[in-house]
Amino acid sequence: MKLQLKFVLYNAISKAVIILAIGAFLPIITQRVVYNHIDNRLLARSDKILKVIRLGGLNEIMLDEDCSFGNYNIFKEEFVSIEPLHQMVNDIGTIKIENTERDFEGEILKHRVLSEAFLFDNQLYALEIGEGLIAVEQINNTLWYFTLWSLIAVIGISIFLDLGFSRFLMRPFYSIINRKLRTINHPTLFEPSQVKTNTYEFSYLNQSINEMMQKVKDAFLVEKEFINSASHELLTPVTVLQTRFENLIAEQNLPDDVADKIVESQKTLMRLSKTVKALLLISKIENAQYLKKESANIRELSQDVLMEISERLISKGIVVEEEWNSEYIFHNCNKSLLHTLILNIVNNAIKYNKQNGKIMLHGSFNENGKYVLKISDTGMGIEKENLKNIFGRFKRFHADDGASYGLGLPIVKTIADFHGILVEAESVKGEGSTFSIVFP
Amino acid sequence: MNTLIVEDEKSLSHEIEIFLTREGFNCDVAFTGKSASEKIYVNNYDFILLDIGLPDMNGLDILREAKEANSESSFIILTARGSVEDKVAGLGLGADDYLAKPFSLLELQARMQAVLRRKHGLQKNTIKVHDFEIDIQNRTITQSGKNVPLTKKEFDILNYLILHKNRVLTRMQLTEHIWGDILEDDYESNYIDVHIKNLRKKLSAFTNVDWIETVRGIGYRVNV
Repeated sequence: MKLQLKFVLYNAISKAVIILAIGAFLPIITQRVVYNHIDNRLLARSDKILKVIRLGGLNEIMLDEDCSFGNYNIFKEEFVSIEPLHQMVNDIGTIKIENTERDFEGEILKHRVLSEAFLFDNQLYALEIGEGLIAVEQINNTLWYFTLWSLIAVIGISIFLDLGFSRFLMRPFYSIINRKLRTINHPTLFEPSQVKTNTYEFSYLNQSINEMMQKVKDAFLVEKEFINSASHELLTPVTVLQTRFENLIAEQNLPDDVADKIVESQKTLMRLSKTVKALLLISKIENAQYLKKESANIRELSQDVLMEISERLISKGIVVEEEWNSEYIFHNCNKSLLHTLILNIVNNAIKYNKQNGKIMLHGSFNENGKYVLKISDTGMGIEKENLKNIFGRFKRFHADDGASYGLGLPIVKTIADFHGILVEAESVKGEGSTFSIVFP
Repeated sequence: MNTLIVEDEKSLSHEIEIFLTREGFNCDVAFTGKSASEKIYVNNYDFILLDIGLPDMNGLDILREAKEANSESSFIILTARGSVEDKVAGLGLGADDYLAKPFSLLELQARMQAVLRRKHGLQKNTIKVHDFEIDIQNRTITQSGKNVPLTKKEFDILNYLILHKNRVLTRMQLTEHIWGDILEDDYESNYIDVHIKNLRKKLSAFTNVDWIETVRGIGYRVNV
């Protein structure tokens, strides 16, 4: 999940929690405040009534014939009632305030009622003062809904603002990633630059990446210099020997045994030279000294390889079967390296094949949508325990017949890695091997 | 042909000199960039074989200097450093060819011939060998007007043998010429023998080809 989204989500969730809490507690709090007001009012009224009665007697308030008194306003919003009690109660003077629901001529109304028993002229009376709650509750509800919805609206707006702001805030981060890390194919092409930001963390990140890339770049350049020097130091003596042998073999009247020895020495030198060149090629690929700017049609490239190597196929009587289910253009590659990759695999398929054998080339997309070129042979196959070693450098081993796999497959592996290609080998001893080249 | 060999490795310079002298070139040698510069300034060379990894200066600077002085010489760069940039830079500065070390002397001579043909037209594009006419430009071989159908590699082998006529070429030299650097396992293979066998068969359908000689244990020679 994007950090930006996480920020926004965190903000939204924390606000929602606060609002839920407010939504839950607000009615309770407001109710308490409102009841408090009502209660105070009721108490004040009961005081007033009792004072009037004490000063002027019950007659001050008009009493009905049964010595009771009831007064309701027209909507029964408020009432006062005084009724004589015929029994003794033990809580004279205690004031009780509670919510009641009463039936007023078929209409059930909710009131907050203060009830109190008082003694007057040795007669016990019950005083009740009520105040309607409906209006209050309506106001409460309205207030609650209004508050809730406005808070929800605030959250909505703030999520929107957060999104925009965090995107703005994160912009230097993406600019660092895109400009510094993704578009630069290779450390040696890296140029340190500043990213426009006043966020400390981002400028720190940018600076750290600059420093790191500079170190990587320096290391690559040092390695490149080393490869060039090693190349010079190793290949110059080889050249001296090679040219000397060539001059020697051209001498007139060379005794046969001397000529044989020179040819043998040339072969040994050639082996040394090929090994050194293979190792240098691998180092140069790993040092990214090759460009990847071409596009190659894999079918055409494979057919070029087959054409180039056709004489070897013919001389071993090998039949090639091709099956191309789909065309594939591999972009941003180095054509000549890819050519070497396919050539090395096909050459092995010839070298380790039996006389009049078969080589199958099959190009198609696999179930993951990746293009796969399979090169199979009907050769002697590779032992299972050797299979994992065939791409390893210096994991040189010898097959039963003394043939060695040399550095051909490590070169294949290096070229594949350089292009992000996966090469896999399967083999059944005695039946043949299949090399799968899985393009990225 | 006046040739200057600019190479700090004296034994290599010596071997090149022996070979080219035997092939009829006049050779001069320079072991440092400084002496090379002076020699190029004073003398007029047809060929300058230039090692770019010189101890006192970059060979490419000598090339640049010479080109600025409108030198008519043909430059072939010899290098063991093998970085791609060097090759691009060398050819960009106007070198005629580029040969990576280790190289075969035969290959060097073949490149020099190709440069001559390309630049000065001094060499004929058709060579007559016994009864056959070889057109190097169009890569065809004919016998009294009739085309001999050779594969690309067969033509390359025959052409190379003829270019170095009267000299024994080993299987390795031939292999390296037709396959180059790509494959690393060819020094023991007998593909060359198969090619020569096919070549003889195709040519002998027209006329006797005993001028392609097998030199026991070593290789092949075209006698003219």
